[in-house]
Amino acid sequence: MTGTTIARLDTAAAVAGLRALPPEAARGFFDLDPVTQNDALLAKEIDRTGVQLYSCGETLLGCRPNPDHPRQAQVASTSSAPEPLRALLGSLGTYQRCTSFFALVPQDSPVAAAFESCGFGRVGTLPEHLFHSGRYRDVVIYYATRGDTCLS
Amino acid sequence: MTDTVTPDTTMTDTVTPDTTMTDTVMTDTVTPHTVTLRGYRSEDAPLLTGPWLRAELLGLAPPGVPGTADPTVVPPPRDATEELCILPGAGFVRFTELDWVHRRARLEIGLQPGAADCARSALTSALTHALQALNLHRVYGWATPDAGAPTDLLAQAGLRQEATVPEAFWFGGRPVARQLWGVILDA
Repeated sequence: MTGTTIARLDTAAAVAGLRALPPEAARGFFDLDPVTQNDALLAKEIDRTGVQLYSCGETLLGCRPNPDHPRQAQVASTSSAPEPLRALLGSLGTYQRCTSFFALVPQDSPVAAAFESCGFGRVGTLPEHLFHSGRYRDVVIYYATRGDTCLS
Repeated sequence: MTDTVTPDTTMTDTVTPDTTMTDTVMTDTVTPHTVTLRGYRSEDAPLLTGPWLRAELLGLAPPGVPGTADPTVVPPPRDATEELCILPGAGFVRFTELDWVHRRARLEIGLQPGAADCARSALTSALTHALQALNLHRVYGWATPDAGAPTDLLAQAGLRQEATVPEAFWFGGRPVARQLWGVILDA
């Protein structure tokens, strides 16, 4: 599957997809960590949090509606390329009527480039929110409305 | 194991040393309330229903909410990702999204109408419990300024505003911004 075609993944396929990714892209994807979590724990966390997972080429995408405002969704991507993320945002806007999006991205993650290319802006930083590789790391919150993410 | 409560010199609370094995006891000198955290029991279920907003860090009855609005219901603890403590007669303190690798949790406090005077002590007790009983590194939670969140109390307790997510909560017929407040406990 190539281009920006999005396909829904079941939990097992999502775990396999995460496992196949380079660690710097996969760590922090919806708080998952394929470096320190085994497949069973990854599957359990995906099921517990209710994240919907998709593939777009080699990229793994995820979304979870905000229970306090169903027109807003938390989104995540494992690629620094903006096209897969833009395809997900377009789909969420068209078929789930989402009007705004936010994302939690580890500080210095290469994935941040995709969000900035899609019109997301920083709305805050969670200090020392993640721990891996021997130290705590900050997490940046990105936000965009549907209008921000449209190509002009 | 006995909790040791260190007096906070920046607060007006007088801290009473813990007298039980697991409880965290705080006495608020501003009001006659004594705030004692203890574990959840099934007979505490009525305290888990109230007028606060869902997932609010310091949940008080927001002003201007019509009486027809559904109350918020907090579920009893289901697994190791939650820690639910009770403020007898006043409300609950809930640590959810507990993560023992990152040593963090999202904090929710819900106080019944009439127990708002306990807010300061409840918040301080919760942070003390998070550090000394749960050994957490970080605690965070949501505050909704448009619903009258007492952000001054959060700041006095040592939390700071870390982010503002626009349109994160539906309140009063429109989406409103929600703030994330947090604190590093063992800095």
